[in-house]
Amino acid sequence: MDVLRPFRTLLSIKHDVARSWQAKGKHLVGWSCAYTPEELIYAANSIPIMVSGSLEPSKHADVYLPINTCSFVRSCFDSALKGDYEYLDGLVISNSCDNRNKIFDLWKHHVKIPYVHFINTPHTRTEGTHNFFYDEIFRFKTSLQVTFGEKLSDTTLKNAIRIFNENRLLLKKVYDLRMKDPPLISGAEALEIVLSSMVTSKEEHNVLLKRLLAGASNRADPPKGGVRLLVSGSVVDNSKPIRIIEAIGGSVVADDLCTGSKYFWDLVSSHGDPLRAIAKRYLDKVSSSFMLEPGTNFSHTIEMAERFDVEAVIVFALKFCDTHMFDAPQLVKEFEARDLPVLYLEWEHSLSGSAQLKTRIEAFLEMVKGVG
Amino acid sequence: MVEAKQKRRRRLQATKGFYKAYIKKFYRDAHKAKAEGKPVAWVASTFPVEILQAMDIFPVWPENYASLCAAKRVAVKFCEIAESRNFSKDLCSYARCVIGSLSDKENSPEEGLPRPDMLVASTGACDTHFKWFQYIGDRFKAPLHLLNMPYNISGADSEHLEKAHIEFYISQLKELIDFLEEKTDTKLDKKRLKEITALSDRTSQLWGEIQHYRKTIPSPMDARDAFSAVFFLLSIPGSPAAVEFYERLRNEVKERAENKFGAAETENYRLVWDNLPPWFDLKFFEYLNTLGAVVVAETFSHVWMGRLDPSRPFESFAKKYLPNFANCSIDRKIHLIQDLAEEFSADGVILPTNWGCRMMSIGETAVKEEVYRKLGVQSLIVNMDSTDRRNYDEAQIKRNMEVFLQVLNEKNQNG
Repeated sequence: MDVLRPFRTLLSIKHDVARSWQAKGKHLVGWSCAYTPEELIYAANSIPIMVSGSLEPSKHADVYLPINTCSFVRSCFDSALKGDYEYLDGLVISNSCDNRNKIFDLWKHHVKIPYVHFINTPHTRTEGTHNFFYDEIFRFKTSLQVTFGEKLSDTTLKNAIRIFNENRLLLKKVYDLRMKDPPLISGAEALEIVLSSMVTSKEEHNVLLKRLLAGASNRADPPKGGVRLLVSGSVVDNSKPIRIIEAIGGSVVADDLCTGSKYFWDLVSSHGDPLRAIAKRYLDKVSSSFMLEPGTNFSHTIEMAERFDVEAVIVFALKFCDTHMFDAPQLVKEFEARDLPVLYLEWEHSLSGSAQLKTRIEAFLEMVKGVG
Repeated sequence: MVEAKQKRRRRLQATKGFYKAYIKKFYRDAHKAKAEGKPVAWVASTFPVEILQAMDIFPVWPENYASLCAAKRVAVKFCEIAESRNFSKDLCSYARCVIGSLSDKENSPEEGLPRPDMLVASTGACDTHFKWFQYIGDRFKAPLHLLNMPYNISGADSEHLEKAHIEFYISQLKELIDFLEEKTDTKLDKKRLKEITALSDRTSQLWGEIQHYRKTIPSPMDARDAFSAVFFLLSIPGSPAAVEFYERLRNEVKERAENKFGAAETENYRLVWDNLPPWFDLKFFEYLNTLGAVVVAETFSHVWMGRLDPSRPFESFAKKYLPNFANCSIDRKIHLIQDLAEEFSADGVILPTNWGCRMMSIGETAVKEEVYRKLGVQSLIVNMDSTDRRNYDEAQIKRNMEVFLQVLNEKNQNG
């Protein structure tokens, strides 16, 4: 279907897309964690680009990293070592996990990037941490201004907030296409749509989203549906694992991924001081597993499961992603208590061993269908 | 027989019977405090435990308990229990071990860990600390307070920390104290904090002196003793017991240094040891001695020291804890190991990784490269786990160690 193809294309030529923005005079700033305030980058006449990995074995990174390293950040580092991201004018990182903290140190040693900025993100929400985080965001603003010689005025910030909020609202509408049974778009397509928003200008992405929403209900080839699933995890930056699930009878209609619903679910307030509104949104947004809340808080995940009326859950634990792996046993219990069948799976970013994954998912789906 | 006697003679007197005299006592005291209704907090390292001590909150240190379970050879069993409950095999073995131990009181050494009234951790060392404690807190319905530490990306030492980082850390300490005061219904006594801070400072000073004497050739103290004795510095630094013990240890090490009496019969290779030891096999260091190698410095013995100014405890804690290498860019670790290798006249560096620990595993190749580039000193990366024996291939590790020492030997002869 034509209205969907552009998103896939954007992902398959993402480095060319980035370069084309550079040719139009934009600065390109890479980011790695969904807690990066992209609006600031956008307001600095720049395009924020998510640094992601590939499905290839990370043989360049293996020289520097032990095997017990998160395979996602390892793959990102591998791409960087291969020169895939040599066009970046800058890279912004934040302390969202041990893997990232330590690997981005290695970037400084082994990959040349003209500008690197670090944002300290607190792991709790109090008046004190909000003040500190605001100062961090202010520091980032100043640093972008100095580095790129661009002025980040209230007007440019408010404009960025407007465009990003529009993108978030449109993505929510796209997600809502999956409330139907069978859904109007597949889980793999939904993930590709969100991921493609991270490799180009949000303004342009909004145009594509509007076109999609206008044409989605007339699809000639709608997904065939299947067992309605929620996929829970941290980062999934490639639709392949979702495709595997959907090829064998699953229908991924919801997620709580950092690269999925958690990325766009919350809006920035359009009232008051824009910088304060941005700082508040990012610290208060739906928590990633590195944020500590009173008790274990899975409210977003539960909300997604209910909203999209799922029949079962796959907890998709990325190997060596400690914060998510510590949540997983609790999350499994949480769903079991709600009588939702749940499968706990550990997976490698490169999908090595995917035959075994497939077998386990197949057996799980059979079991769910049998119960239903 | 004669050999065995000589070996015994070489172990330090101060650390003789350490487990019975100090560790057992510590856990006995913890259970006693609990029984008497005193508040008990579980605490993770890289945390200003001095504040707990000043508020008479008993600080239980589960990381130590895991190492103890490893030494008693029950850690694997406990890890397996945790794994049967979906805690991944790739998670921190300390965490898995302690989580598993909660379901097997019968086999838990020292009657297990006393139930926490509260838990405290910081973001300074790793993600595991607070995620692990979050689970424990949920399980016992005990509150967890997390102290945010700004990540020290520049790797600044205590004299060059960013002002904003110090200020934020101090504001976080105030949040912590509010939490502790509320939970214990007592106010922090500033005078008492001063006293504890002074004791902790003295503890660090003495520990520093002990390390200093290990620069002597031959080294008067080995890693086996150091990994036991460092217990006080981490668990109860602000206590007369710590000061008393370290004074005794310092005197003995000093005397040995003056008499050039080494920890091992022969000291052909002086080594620096990073990260953790195999807690289930501390005899490994004696095996190294039989090959003529002595570990003269551990990063572990050097990152937990910090001089404190009792008149400014909060600022002192910031300066003690923020530059801990766990909270810093890899550059800081590289510089620390370079300094240790140089100051302790090391012939080689051992870089053990820790399977369930990203913080200790990532970056060791950079350390290896940079130490060699600056000093021409070789390193050996040893893939292992400190607590889960299943991730410890003893035969292979020993083979690699022997080959590594041969390489050092050839280098010494050629050069």
